[in-house]
Amino acid sequence: MWKNIYLWLDERIGFNDFYKNLLDRPEPKTSWWNTLGSASMFLFVLQGLTGIFLTVYYTPSPDHAYDSVNYIMEGVAFGWLIRGIHHWGATLMVILVFVHMLRVFYTASFKYPRELTWLIGIGLFLTTLGMGFTGYLLPWNQKAFWATTVGTQIAGTAPYIGEFILKALRGGPDLSALTLQRFFSAHIWIIPAILAALIGVHLFLIIKHGESHWPKKED
Amino acid sequence: MNDETKKQINERYERELDKGERFWPDTIFKDVVMSLGIFLLLILLATFVGVPAEPKADPSDTSYIPRPEWYFLFLFKFLALYGQLPVIGKIEWLATVLIPGIAVAVLTLIPFIEKSPHRHYSKRVLPIAIMTIMVVGIVLLTLMSEIPTVSEDGSALLGMLQTISGIFIPLAAYILLFAFKNNTRLMLWTTGLAAASMILVSGTVLTLAPEKEAEETSVATTLPDQIVAGQDLYSIHCTECHGDDGSVAVIEGVEGLEGEKITPINSRDVLYTITDSAMNEVIAYGRPNAGMPPFGKTYGGELTKSEIDYIIIFMRYLWDDRFEAPVIKPLFPPLADGEVPSYDVHIQPIVKRYCISCHRAGKDNNNYLMTTYEEILTTGDQAANNVIAGDEKSYLLQTIQGQSIMNPEKPDEELIGVMPPTKALKPDVVDVFVRWVMNGMPQTAAEAAALFATPAPTPTP
Ligand code: HEC
Ligand code: HEC
Ligand code: HEM
Repeated sequence: MWKNIYLWLDERIGFNDFYKNLLDRPEPKTSWWNTLGSASMFLFVLQGLTGIFLTVYYTPSPDHAYDSVNYIMEGVAFGWLIRGIHHWGATLMVILVFVHMLRVFYTASFKYPRELTWLIGIGLFLTTLGMGFTGYLLPWNQKAFWATTVGTQIAGTAPYIGEFILKALRGGPDLSALTLQRFFSAHIWIIPAILAALIGVHLFLIIKHGESHWPKKED
Repeated sequence: MNDETKKQINERYERELDKGERFWPDTIFKDVVMSLGIFLLLILLATFVGVPAEPKADPSDTSYIPRPEWYFLFLFKFLALYGQLPVIGKIEWLATVLIPGIAVAVLTLIPFIEKSPHRHYSKRVLPIAIMTIMVVGIVLLTLMSEIPTVSEDGSALLGMLQTISGIFIPLAAYILLFAFKNNTRLMLWTTGLAAASMILVSGTVLTLAPEKEAEETSVATTLPDQIVAGQDLYSIHCTECHGDDGSVAVIEGVEGLEGEKITPINSRDVLYTITDSAMNEVIAYGRPNAGMPPFGKTYGGELTKSEIDYIIIFMRYLWDDRFEAPVIKPLFPPLADGEVPSYDVHIQPIVKRYCISCHRAGKDNNNYLMTTYEEILTTGDQAANNVIAGDEKSYLLQTIQGQSIMNPEKPDEELIGVMPPTKALKPDVVDVFVRWVMNGMPQTAAEAAALFATPAPTPTP
């Protein structure tokens, strides 16, 4: 019976095409350095899953954010593990994305025909930092509050438009409930959506061009 | 790049593919191993390192030293060092906006700046050298981020060394690299020497820097911990007027408020009518007209938001009959026969609960401060007599047992009243003080354990 279901689905979806186009591709000899990109992607997915779990209990308001995070740590079964993974995953993701970028630079993999992959990659790097920046405020503790205060202040030193940036980031002259609301929405909707879209294009380009080979003397 | 080169590159790639592997299963296999390894690492980090608890955000606590996430620390450090430069150091936006902006722009445009089709590192020494110095600089700035630019004794040496390794050496190296653009050997030497000297200078800074003592921020996260923390804070700040159980209806012994009639704050009148957020306001802002001072940092008091929350939690769970208190650890572990108490385990929590409200700076207490072990033994107008090892006539022991001390010169004048002045300590608490002083005031649990009177071994026949 399973076979019949498989055949029926295959007829309509065409698993073979997927296999041929996505999996059964030739690659140059790859090294462990080539795993950093997919590892970054794995972390993105993991951050998404653990993050969704966290939003079940998290409340983005100055009165409740701190207590809700505390509740996740103390009251929810395995809440500490989920938050721990999300917390360390964020740090590790920044490191991995950065090292991945360095690897691409040192092996000159950004050269023809992969220039666009690099440009998208810069977008990925900046949005990853954006995830970190917005996520850091959410626990609404001292560290978070003051880190965001200085972070937005630095953005506010830009000539002419600084004041505008500062107010746009904070939702007013000071950090407030509005800032938290804004950062929350950026952290769980806006930036992940951009990140997911960019990863999609990044992967499409990688599959299209194949991974670059390790540069040899003749290159 | 002309079509000929492009064709060559593509043909070259085809040849590599022929010698290569299959995406499935060869490439995927490594990816999966790597991801699983990372997953394991994360579980270990979450389990054994965890997420450190932090106090709640407190916008009024301007004494808190703000620090960004660790991966922005290098930028923060760069700003601090840049601010030390003469003249241009004053133009802030150069360092906050322009330089990072240029860096990101260059990074983005790398494929269009480095246009040569060559990929092997021997043919791209200049870009690799520039990037390497940049990365070394970023790592070193991150490592040095905690070190102040001006030391406590006012010396700017550390700041100067940091500026040298974080700004001047890389800058000089970049200038040299462009000067030696056509000489691979000189470029390699420049990079090597620059990186080595940056590491050397930063290493010096790191070893010279004063050891930073890890500041201890105790954060209560579980309910019992929060209740205990609240009770300690309440004992220190509020007992004076409201009594240790909130039952005071007429204030006694407080200057300016003597005989003032107040509503007992452990009564339903107060607990049922004042919500948590209103309570927060009462404590933070005080009742200036009635004589209660403000306690919140926002209004010039000493308590942070978290601390006020703890006090309210304590009041709710111990006094408000709508709340059921969880099991709370005793203030100190009960003593066995012959066991000697220590400062760390027994005396400190007791003193915090019963004595510090008066015996800290700024209160009327004959200059007897009790906030640390040393203070208890060495301060006070009668420092010589307060705590004497093995002497039951120590003033401390006498006063807590209801004996006031008379002035030896004028026998009818009281020198020290009974302690604590308003409510006698429970016998088990007094017993702890007595055993502690009689056994020579051990500080740590280990020192106390060494004094534990071990029963004499029965002689074996
Ligand atoms: C210097 C004396 C003093 C100290 C210290 C003090 N209070 Fe008060 N408190 C007062 C007075 C006076 C009132 C006014 C009572 C009234 O109006 O019935 C009051 C009222 C209150 C009320 C009730 C307000 C109301 O509207 O009925 C609460 C709750 C309270 N205090 C809590 C605290 C807490 C918690 C602390 C410790 C952080 C504290 N107080 C420290 C003197 C003090
Ligand atoms: C309500 C405030 C208050 C509390 C609580 C309190 N004290 Fe005192 N203490 C005083 C004052 C005031 C003096 C100054 C002498 C006097 O006026 O009796 C003093 C003096 C002393 C002295 C003599 C210091 C000297 O050098 O002259 C000792 C010892 C002492 N206290 C021990 C304690 C101990 C132990 C506790 C806790 C169990 C305690 N006190 C709690 C107010 C307090
Ligand atoms: C969320 C962040 C990112 C994800 C999920 C990601 C994902 C990937 C994956 C899966 C690959 C193929 C495997 C590999 O070579 O490692 C890859 C390759 C590549 N990435 Fe990324 N990447 C990210 C960030 C970046 C950044 C910041 C850059 C550079 C600015 C970049 C540039 C490239 C380039 C040029 C390639 C092709 C490399 C080659 O063909 O050898 N990527 N990326």
